[in-house]
Amino acid sequence: MAETHQDSGGGDFDLTQFYQIFFEEAGENLDLMETMLLNLNLETADDEELNGIFRCAHSVKGGAATFGFADVAELTHQMESLLDRLRRHELQPNSAMVDVLLESADASRSLLARHQAGGEGVALPTSDLVRRISELAAGGGGAAAVAKPVAKTAASVQTARVPLKEGVRSLEIRIGPLEHPEQADAIRELFRDIPGLGEIVVMPSDRKDLRIFDVKTVSSNADLLDLFAFHVSRDFIAIKEIEEAEVVVGPGTQAVSSNFADDPQPGAPLAAFPGFGFFDGSPGAPVTAVSAVGAGVDAKVAAKAAPKAGAAGPAAQPEAATIRVAISKVDQLINLVGELVITQAMLAQNSRALDPALYQQLLTGLADLDRNTRDLQESVMSIRMIPMSIVFSRFPRMLRDLASKLGKKVDFVTQGEATELDKGLVEKITDPLTHLVRNSCDHGVEMPAERLAAGKSETGTITLSASHQGGSIVIEVRDDGRGMSREKILSKARERGIDVSDQMSDADVWQLIFAPGFSTAAVVTDVSGRGVGMDVVKRNIAALNGTVEIDSAEGYGMKVSVRLPLTLAIMDGMSVGAGDEVYILPLSSVVESFQVKADAVSTVGQGAQLIKVRDEYMPVIELEKVFQIPRGNSQKSSDIMVVVEADGSRVALLVDELLGQQQVVVKNLESNYRKVPNVSGATILGDGKVALILDTGALVRRSRH
Amino acid sequence: MGVMEKMDELTSSGAREYLTFRLDQEEYGIDILKVQEIRGYERPTRVANAPNFIKGVVNLRGTIVPIVDMRLKFNCSKAEYSSFTVVIILNLRSRIVGIVVDSVSDVMELPPESLKPAPDIDSVIDSGAVLGLGSIGERMLILLDIERLMSASDMGLIGASE
Repeated sequence: MAETHQDSGGGDFDLTQFYQIFFEEAGENLDLMETMLLNLNLETADDEELNGIFRCAHSVKGGAATFGFADVAELTHQMESLLDRLRRHELQPNSAMVDVLLESADASRSLLARHQAGGEGVALPTSDLVRRISELAAGGGGAAAVAKPVAKTAASVQTARVPLKEGVRSLEIRIGPLEHPEQADAIRELFRDIPGLGEIVVMPSDRKDLRIFDVKTVSSNADLLDLFAFHVSRDFIAIKEIEEAEVVVGPGTQAVSSNFADDPQPGAPLAAFPGFGFFDGSPGAPVTAVSAVGAGVDAKVAAKAAPKAGAAGPAAQPEAATIRVAISKVDQLINLVGELVITQAMLAQNSRALDPALYQQLLTGLADLDRNTRDLQESVMSIRMIPMSIVFSRFPRMLRDLASKLGKKVDFVTQGEATELDKGLVEKITDPLTHLVRNSCDHGVEMPAERLAAGKSETGTITLSASHQGGSIVIEVRDDGRGMSREKILSKARERGIDVSDQMSDADVWQLIFAPGFSTAAVVTDVSGRGVGMDVVKRNIAALNGTVEIDSAEGYGMKVSVRLPLTLAIMDGMSVGAGDEVYILPLSSVVESFQVKADAVSTVGQGAQLIKVRDEYMPVIELEKVFQIPRGNSQKSSDIMVVVEADGSRVALLVDELLGQQQVVVKNLESNYRKVPNVSGATILGDGKVALILDTGALVRRSRH
Repeated sequence: MGVMEKMDELTSSGAREYLTFRLDQEEYGIDILKVQEIRGYERPTRVANAPNFIKGVVNLRGTIVPIVDMRLKFNCSKAEYSSFTVVIILNLRSRIVGIVVDSVSDVMELPPESLKPAPDIDSVIDSGAVLGLGSIGERMLILLDIERLMSASDMGLIGASE
């Protein structure tokens, strides 16, 4: 019974948060897949297109498996198998395949919508689709093609053929005569937008101004009428119940039943929204309403409608709590607020000379403006930034399930969860990271017995870490598993006709696994092994201007480092002054700072300067020299040392003064200019001026030469 | 011939509008469609290791934009910065660049037939970047292919890797 799932989301609130992300992603992937399928030219389908469609199915499957939506995972797994054979050119794509894939995408969508609504309602049976896909994948196709006369209606025919579950009613809804029949089409969108409402299929109509829909739903007629009334006047709606499992074919049913339409049941709307309680105690209160509805509608249905509507409350919350907005709009907002802050600073500057006694009101206003602008800026900035923990916390559950499925023992360690990352980046690295973690668990970590035999502890460790490094964000996935085998990769590459030689460097060999369809796994599972993972990882990360590096030692484990540029990442910075100029140091690389006396610096070979900090000698870099900072006649001189650390080495930077710490938004210097040595980016200071952000990694490397 | 036809003929013959500006005694014109906006000069943030004509970068509503002083690039005798100094913000393909000029004069429409090819002359300007010479009464207008000029490697605006 559906009611038992009613509060399934309530106990695990955190997870539902990630569900939401998954649902959004999956929806996008399915949409993309549909577009690509529709554009697919069967005769000339190229690898790129087929790979693209395959990747969509793969991503949906991966997510669904992660969150335990077995029905979606199963269906997409089948789709993936078919697509995999297509992209390997083992099968020639035909329209039957496209049809069944489109249908499967629709089915996946409806299954996802059901999960999103908290598991309410009746799952769309997929066994028929699964069977047809596997027939096609096996090389058949004739029978499946005959099974569906029209792709659009096939889904309804198929669902109608199986007996409807309890509580679901099959309705024929006629809408019209309308002056603008397009209005009725909006009703179809209702079914798409409201999870758990049911399904709607357009039936052929004999009149232009009349629309006929075949609807399967658990909602009561009154509920439907209420909903439809947003788009079409009630007077034009006629709902008629169809016998269960009856397949409605073609136009012809002339009898327009007006029973339900003309008989609005006063109790029914209340039954649908028992949570409001406005009418508690008044006649027709929820409890009585249910039985009152029974007069017009089957009591069983009304009883169903109530819990369904009750579930709509919690299910609707996550939807209402977030809105999806184009990143460009947020960027525009950030830039505008930046301008506002500058204008505000200018006003504050100009009003400083005013006499507080005479301009009290104005000054109070300006003070308010100051505070509001700052709050606004902070809020706007925080829209984009989210900590890595959001991504990381997706994995423990996934790994647990995965490990138990594979019979492995895995510890999961995360580091640097607080590292804040631009939302755009977070969204885009989630998928690649999922693939990497999955790979580590599936291919990297060995079975417990194997580990013991190799002299390792039974439990493997997968470490996920994030940090700011040298002007980039580095996310590492490490495991202490079996590592990669050079020989295996080389032989697999030869098998696939890739030109390789035994003399290739390790790094070059590891790069081979990024080739599309490259996998050394012996068995294709629904976890990984199709070799699609690394292909997707590389592609997604390259799209972010990032790089992927692999380090592996056979028998000891593997490390995949994803390096992403800081574009728009917020950074804690320390501003330092030299001459009249201001530079920003990433606070994460600053170790300490202190004042030096002129004689504390010693030289080596008449050039390199060193300073002794406690027991350590470190090279001195004069900011003034590196950046050729002009010296006016000012009295200032550099006597502050800031010790910075990068790539494991330390240098002492000689600056004039320390100006303070602040959060800065890293701006890309290269979008309109070019790369500047020793600079990782730029930022805009409170006064609207641009300050350059030092690349501590480059400065440290510079000191080595 | 009606006015509309005349207009049509003008557009189809490729008459274009040019923004003209002064550098010292010389007058230059650039395609108005490349101009995003015109601003007053504000002191940019100096960027180390850049040629002298790149004054640095400024914040243009959240975007970091490099500023090129055309007077230094074209070896003008003097380059002063006052409250009248003007920066023309150009939108070239996907890049935004600001150029410093002495003043902006006018927007004018020139039919292609009024353009004369520039003779081969020895100049600091790459001859390929001069579209031609136009005349407005007695004055000579040097029409620049600003996009070509700005993307030339000696401008140092674009990294070697790009």
